[in-house]
Amino acid sequence: MILTLQTPRPLSRLPRFLPFSTNASITLNQSQPATCTSPPPPYSQILSTRHSLLSRQFSAADLLRSHLHRLNLTEPHLRSFLHLPDPSDLLAQADSLDRRIAAGEDVGPLAGVLVAVKDNICTADMPSTGGSRILEGYRPPFDATAVKRAKELGAIVVGKTNLDEFGMGSTTEGSAFQVTANPWDLSRVPGGSSGGSAAAVSARQCVVSLGSDTGGSVRQPASFCGVVGLKPTYGRVSRFGLMAYASSLDTIGCFGSSVADAGILLHAIAGHDRFDATSSNQDVPNFLSHFVSASSFESKPLKGLRVGLIRETIGDGVDAGVISAIHSAASHFEELGCSVNEVSLPSFSLGLPAYYILASSESSSNLSRYDGIRYGNQVYADELDSLYGSSRANGFGSEVKMRILMGTYALSAGYYDAYYKRAQQVRTIIRNSFTEALNQNDILISPAAPSPAYKIGEKKNDPLAMYAGDIMTVNVNLAGLPALVLPCGFVEGGTAGLPIGLQMIGAAFGEEELLRVGHIFEQTLENCRFVPPIIAEDIAS
Amino acid sequence: MGGVGAMVKGASYSYAVFCGSFLRSPRLSFSIHNKKKLLKFRSFSSKSTCSSLQPPDVSRLAKTAQISLTPDEVEEFAPKIQQVIDWFGQLQDVDLQSVEPSIRAETENNLRDNVPETFDHRDAMIGAVPSYEEPYIKVPRVLSMD
Repeated sequence: MILTLQTPRPLSRLPRFLPFSTNASITLNQSQPATCTSPPPPYSQILSTRHSLLSRQFSAADLLRSHLHRLNLTEPHLRSFLHLPDPSDLLAQADSLDRRIAAGEDVGPLAGVLVAVKDNICTADMPSTGGSRILEGYRPPFDATAVKRAKELGAIVVGKTNLDEFGMGSTTEGSAFQVTANPWDLSRVPGGSSGGSAAAVSARQCVVSLGSDTGGSVRQPASFCGVVGLKPTYGRVSRFGLMAYASSLDTIGCFGSSVADAGILLHAIAGHDRFDATSSNQDVPNFLSHFVSASSFESKPLKGLRVGLIRETIGDGVDAGVISAIHSAASHFEELGCSVNEVSLPSFSLGLPAYYILASSESSSNLSRYDGIRYGNQVYADELDSLYGSSRANGFGSEVKMRILMGTYALSAGYYDAYYKRAQQVRTIIRNSFTEALNQNDILISPAAPSPAYKIGEKKNDPLAMYAGDIMTVNVNLAGLPALVLPCGFVEGGTAGLPIGLQMIGAAFGEEELLRVGHIFEQTLENCRFVPPIIAEDIAS
Repeated sequence: MGGVGAMVKGASYSYAVFCGSFLRSPRLSFSIHNKKKLLKFRSFSSKSTCSSLQPPDVSRLAKTAQISLTPDEVEEFAPKIQQVIDWFGQLQDVDLQSVEPSIRAETENNLRDNVPETFDHRDAMIGAVPSYEEPYIKVPRVLSMD
């Protein structure tokens, strides 16, 4: 299905984002006729923004206003955000940046870039609820390291996004507060648990966003919403300030409308942090060097790259449209000069129960801190035990309660060997199978999910059916590897089709290669523009 | 014995429900190969190490986890939790004899120096405490009389 970037007439006052390589100047009031051949999509909103701000084509304040205008129009339909600050606060930040640019001062690589932050990542100046009533109204006394670093480099945090409570879920319906809609079809879920962050980027309410990925919670919503989702290697990004769900699996990940944008955001937040003992000392390479214009690519830019398509992910149980999209992606890789082979990962299907054992067990321990005593909402009782019991019963939703109970069971005295230890052994098997496969191949590919976005309400009462949708993503978390999801095609559904994401998995700390390959794949993909109808059509009506 | 019988009965019920839910939704039907693998797990479940595991007692678990569930919630959660725990059981039949457990992905030993520092935003931290009476965080009585 071919989609072209429609010029939305009521939004004609928005700045036009031009590719980095052109010199055309624009004025705000110029609207482009709908029939003109639009320039190739900019491969990086962040780089285009920087170019335009520094060359004074438009100001950070104008950029902010245009995004807020679009956000206000789309938000009643999408409900991506749990918290939006006072616009005057944001404007003050943008004005301050404009003054510094006018004075010729150096500004960071994320200057003027609007970033949305998933609500399980702590922000000192905005509430952080984790999507849960138990933290309704809670304001952390610190910023998460990832947020702190983005802000230091000039980013403007535009709001906190909706999620499944504490990251537990795959649809964002598990939020205690609201259900976020998929910008491609408002009757469908955006995926989860980082559904709000994915929807916000998809609908261009912000430029990039932060999410978290414990079992696929960045990659699956990226696939459902037609955006790029990047899960880094475990240890690449500090988890300080990320509300812990499963500490051996949690990562903070990045969403962008292009591979370059996701990569630039990752570069900004990655690196060792003394406040996270599991964060790695490995150097963060300069990813930006790979984000070059397609016109500079050789004819077979990925010549010699060995791509392994995971056989277990394109069999029964996977939507025919998804399989077809992945096969097309494999052909595209071949056109780019790769050799694509099928690879089998032994014990692939064991990853799902192993993941849920580990995740529920670790979450039962991590969520014991929510006791209503030092922070969060308290339900008073005359005895301490009752206070704990009532505060937690009142504050947690059903899915969270169930996972805590399952985890409590799996960790009960005498049951450790049967469940948690066995799951950790399966984890070793899965890690080894990936290592083996990544010795034979440079990257592995698979769908990001077995289907396109579900209808809202479709998976609500069937936990195992919902868990089954994570089959493509959990093994990557068990192995701690990096993975990049980018939109590669469509299936029927909604008014303009539903996007399908391709997952690319790399070796540990191999984000540079993933981003290099992903950027080339994306920039050479023809006839695919991933702009959802909600912003492509005339949204004033 | 009752425990084992309940486990096996629960297992076959949940297997039927599990496969049933998959079969209802065509996208999620397991391959023939996977169904055979599941069958193999179920036929061994009564002889495996999980025969000594009691099925989940949701009320007792809720007490351990310090969550006061209503009777309705116990009734609602019990079959779902049973179903998932049974599904976990398929790990019992995998040969894991010489496999080392992995705590997490490989990470380096990265501890910072054990030197105390003052946190700059103590006021914000204290401000988040629901019940505070300088310098105490107030809690109700810890020990009950019975």
